[in-house]
Amino acid sequence: MDIKLSSDDLAFRDEVRAFFDDNKMKAGEDYFSWRLNWFKKAREKGGWDVPKWPEKFGGPGWTPTQHYIWEQETAQANIPFDLPFGLGMLAPILMNYGNEEQQERFMPDIRDRKVNWCQGYSEPGAGSDLANLKTKAVLSDDGTYYTVNGSKMWTTLAHVADWIFCLTRTDDSGIKQQGITFLLFPMKQEGIEIKPIITLGGSHTVNTVHFTDVKVPVENMIGEEGKGWTYAKGLLEHERTGLAGLSKSLVELEQLKDNARSIQRGNGNLMDDSSYKSKIGELEIDLLATEFTELRSLASAAAGGEPGPESSILKLKGTEIKQRIQKLTVEASGIYSSAWGDKGVGPAFAKGGTAGYLNSRYFTIYGGASEVQKDIVAKKVLGLTKGSSK
Amino acid sequence: MNFELSEEQKMIQQSVERFVQENYDLTNRIKISSEDPGYSKDYWSSMAELGWLGLAFEEEDGGFGGNQIDTLVLMEQFGKGLVLEPFLANVVLGGGAIKRGASQTIKDSIIPGIMDGSMHVTLAYAEEQSRFDIEDVATSAREEDGNFIINGKKSMVLNAESADKIVIVARTSGSQVDENGISLFIVDATSEGIERENFPTVDGLRASEVIFENVKVPSENLIGEKDKGFEILQAVVNDAILALAAEAVGAMEVLYKDTVEYTQQREQFDHALSDFQVLQHRMVDMFMEYEQCKSLLFRATMETVQDPKLSQRTVHALKHLIGKSGIFVGESAVQLHGGMGVTEELRIGHFFKRLLVIDSQFGNADFHLNKFTNF
Repeated sequence: MDIKLSSDDLAFRDEVRAFFDDNKMKAGEDYFSWRLNWFKKAREKGGWDVPKWPEKFGGPGWTPTQHYIWEQETAQANIPFDLPFGLGMLAPILMNYGNEEQQERFMPDIRDRKVNWCQGYSEPGAGSDLANLKTKAVLSDDGTYYTVNGSKMWTTLAHVADWIFCLTRTDDSGIKQQGITFLLFPMKQEGIEIKPIITLGGSHTVNTVHFTDVKVPVENMIGEEGKGWTYAKGLLEHERTGLAGLSKSLVELEQLKDNARSIQRGNGNLMDDSSYKSKIGELEIDLLATEFTELRSLASAAAGGEPGPESSILKLKGTEIKQRIQKLTVEASGIYSSAWGDKGVGPAFAKGGTAGYLNSRYFTIYGGASEVQKDIVAKKVLGLTKGSSK
Repeated sequence: MNFELSEEQKMIQQSVERFVQENYDLTNRIKISSEDPGYSKDYWSSMAELGWLGLAFEEEDGGFGGNQIDTLVLMEQFGKGLVLEPFLANVVLGGGAIKRGASQTIKDSIIPGIMDGSMHVTLAYAEEQSRFDIEDVATSAREEDGNFIINGKKSMVLNAESADKIVIVARTSGSQVDENGISLFIVDATSEGIERENFPTVDGLRASEVIFENVKVPSENLIGEKDKGFEILQAVVNDAILALAAEAVGAMEVLYKDTVEYTQQREQFDHALSDFQVLQHRMVDMFMEYEQCKSLLFRATMETVQDPKLSQRTVHALKHLIGKSGIFVGESAVQLHGGMGVTEELRIGHFFKRLLVIDSQFGNADFHLNKFTNF
């Protein structure tokens, strides 16, 4: 066991820092052209635009340590935003289950950030119990297209998406995990109606999406008809074992401490308040531990291909940590935490703090609620299957 | 950066695991614990023969030149059997002070004895008023004709009953809570003026209150520089925290796994207990706390090996989490075992007691949270 970064790793870190430094947005530069140019430059570095993609598909083929360094550095640097739907969610499914024609058709645009994707999984009756979905896809008599009818819910950024990857039901004769088919289709077409859902923080991120007789050619089906659940489940596993955003949380925690120090209390500041300070301390200690849980998970994945049992707790701990940071931000805002909207009264960090906290409640709900995650750990890691003693 | 043990460490891990499995069933442990001196002399000799007692000593002192990771490997496995042998007192505490600060003459006269199991050493640092503050030292050492005269009372001295030598922390200058002015000495446990009151601890180990009344110690017995003992003491205490945390992680693993097994066997309301989601989630929480403690243990240990000066804050974090999570896992294991959990018949309760004691040693969860936030 050794915590030291090798000289190669240190050189890599310097290279990453230099890259971020060389490609900072210049004053007056247009954000979106800077963003596209940034990804172009990253691509020239040898796949830095798609760090998590395997080498075979143009990724950089980094070691776990290099991924860790990258995450730490990106948390601190000002780099362009990216959405996970195409790059991190659909692409792995295309790589594993898509045919070559589909890979060639969809992956370049994902990589070039040309097409925005959204994820059509949850439905009014299918939340954490995702397999309970009802959206129907019926194959045409000539076998060339599906007709999709039904509704999706909680669809993040559906209102700006060009395409959707969507779980549909093609057969309801078996158990509910069977008969699910994975389809891709454009969002901007007749028969698709998008309605905003306003969340507690007052913002519009998620939507309800209704499909009425939407036609989807069979070439847009991934893998085999009826096997969509297997593909989606593989993705959910991938989502769980991915990085838990801890480096970002560490940066946010330091910012939170600075904010708390700016709040005067008597001769000192809020960080001198013992109960507030204890909460910050406990949060940071959990974060220090979780960071190493993530490193252990990366290391065991690299050694044996399969992430170890410790990886199962990353989503649980990572999301809880993010929520606690939001909560402590609200607490630090004191009386100003109740001000709503863009007016901005009190300390600068208080603006939008409560809205951020309220929206953060979904961290432990989306992608399988924490309670469902615990069911999975109980079953997969501890072997506690129902009726195991009988 | 890597998390793999070396081949040698893996071999040691397997051999300790086997030793614990073969020798440390509950009945045997209770028997050994209840008879003087509170551990098995045969086991202690075996540990010496297997080379475990020499792992953490420097090669020039005749040891194997190992570090805190080697100690982690041993202690984690010891934790799975609640091993009673005084490894912590001898190797980590007494031996740890000697290897860091003693003169070559003292090292030569003591370290070989620790490694072959023939000489027992412990560390007397805590006092009644000091609680967890290691710099709070009232016991005095007054210089007189080339000797030091020690007066005071040391508390909760681990395995003092069987110690041949005691490393004592005393004040040579400064006020009662100054870091500066603390000095370490090694004294014969049978010196004139030393009185030991021995007693068992909650977890079945042994400790003593040790009274020093005009105990004369030659100045050659000073460990490290006069007045500058705090730095050595702090380093030894940090090592002890790492060692205890590793032991706690081993104990937590047993507790969560025993609980999983028990709930699968025990039936109530026509179901295995493990069918109930509320119990499943509690066990998942136990598992998570165990994994998080293990992660922080690795982090603090690896940071200490790399640079002890930079690891202090993480060591505080570790002891906080170990204390808090250890008790959570212990209480949960007892709760999920129901009535059987509160009996002496199952090993669960014994592991729980050990975790309680570990929280109380070298600063509890609150103490270290406070240190961490003020660092």
